[in-house]
Amino acid sequence: MTDPAAWPDAYGDRLFRYALSRLRDARAAEELVQETLVTAFRSRDRFQGASSELTWMTGILRNKIFEHLRRQAKEAALGAVDDGAREDGLFAEDGHWTKSGAPADWGGEPAKAAESAEFAAALRACLDALTPAVAQAFVLREMEGLGPAACAEALGVPSNHLAVLLYRARMRLRRCLERSWFAPEPAR
Amino acid sequence: MKLLPDCRDMSSRLSEARDSGRALTLGERLHLLMCAWCRRFRVQLDVLGLAAARAPEGGPSLSAEAKARIRRALGA
Ligand SMILES: [Zn+2]
Repeated sequence: MTDPAAWPDAYGDRLFRYALSRLRDARAAEELVQETLVTAFRSRDRFQGASSELTWMTGILRNKIFEHLRRQAKEAALGAVDDGAREDGLFAEDGHWTKSGAPADWGGEPAKAAESAEFAAALRACLDALTPAVAQAFVLREMEGLGPAACAEALGVPSNHLAVLLYRARMRLRRCLERSWFAPEPAR
Repeated sequence: MKLLPDCRDMSSRLSEARDSGRALTLGERLHLLMCAWCRRFRVQLDVLGLAAARAPEGGPSLSAEAKARIRRALGA
């Protein structure tokens, strides 16, 4: 095991980015990185060396992120109600996409678009614009790759509500990205 | 009763099917065959998922103050 004094420099940035991409709150991300390294330090006897130190620490950080999101979800449940009104205008009376709401062509190769670091940055910015419960559902499901049942449990919502949260997240993210990322450069 | 799901139905069903991993129904598959917009929507869901699953690269770093604070917390 490496010298713990070297951990902040060796792992701090990567752990911080990981946390920040999921929490969207630099202060909370910083705190969780600190807690993670302290936990790693205290339980260093249990580090098996089967994985890299970074992988091991990321596992600890992940659990701290879940705890944090669960706490936040409880608080958010008492706060703002998200009524889904923002999906208005996407569909016409007859249930078809409206002209302004219709999905644009993001290119034939999904993997290619998703690979760009700039796209990832645009996605993060769009994630910031979501209400907390909606963003958390997306983070746990798509970023952390938790199964739907585990997501619902982590957020303390029934599974049908999780489906609504995920739907809203995806609808709003795609809309936001169409405006910020896929929109043609305005003519000057 | 509607014979086929409309685009509004499709948008929520494609989202739900992505999570449940279920196969699409015949009606849903027929809608996709006929509707380029919903096909695009489905690609968009994949792009969102793929981009989200990627590890973040670059971006902000942990501040020097935070690193110093953590070093102190580690007793180093
Ligand atoms: Zn359609």
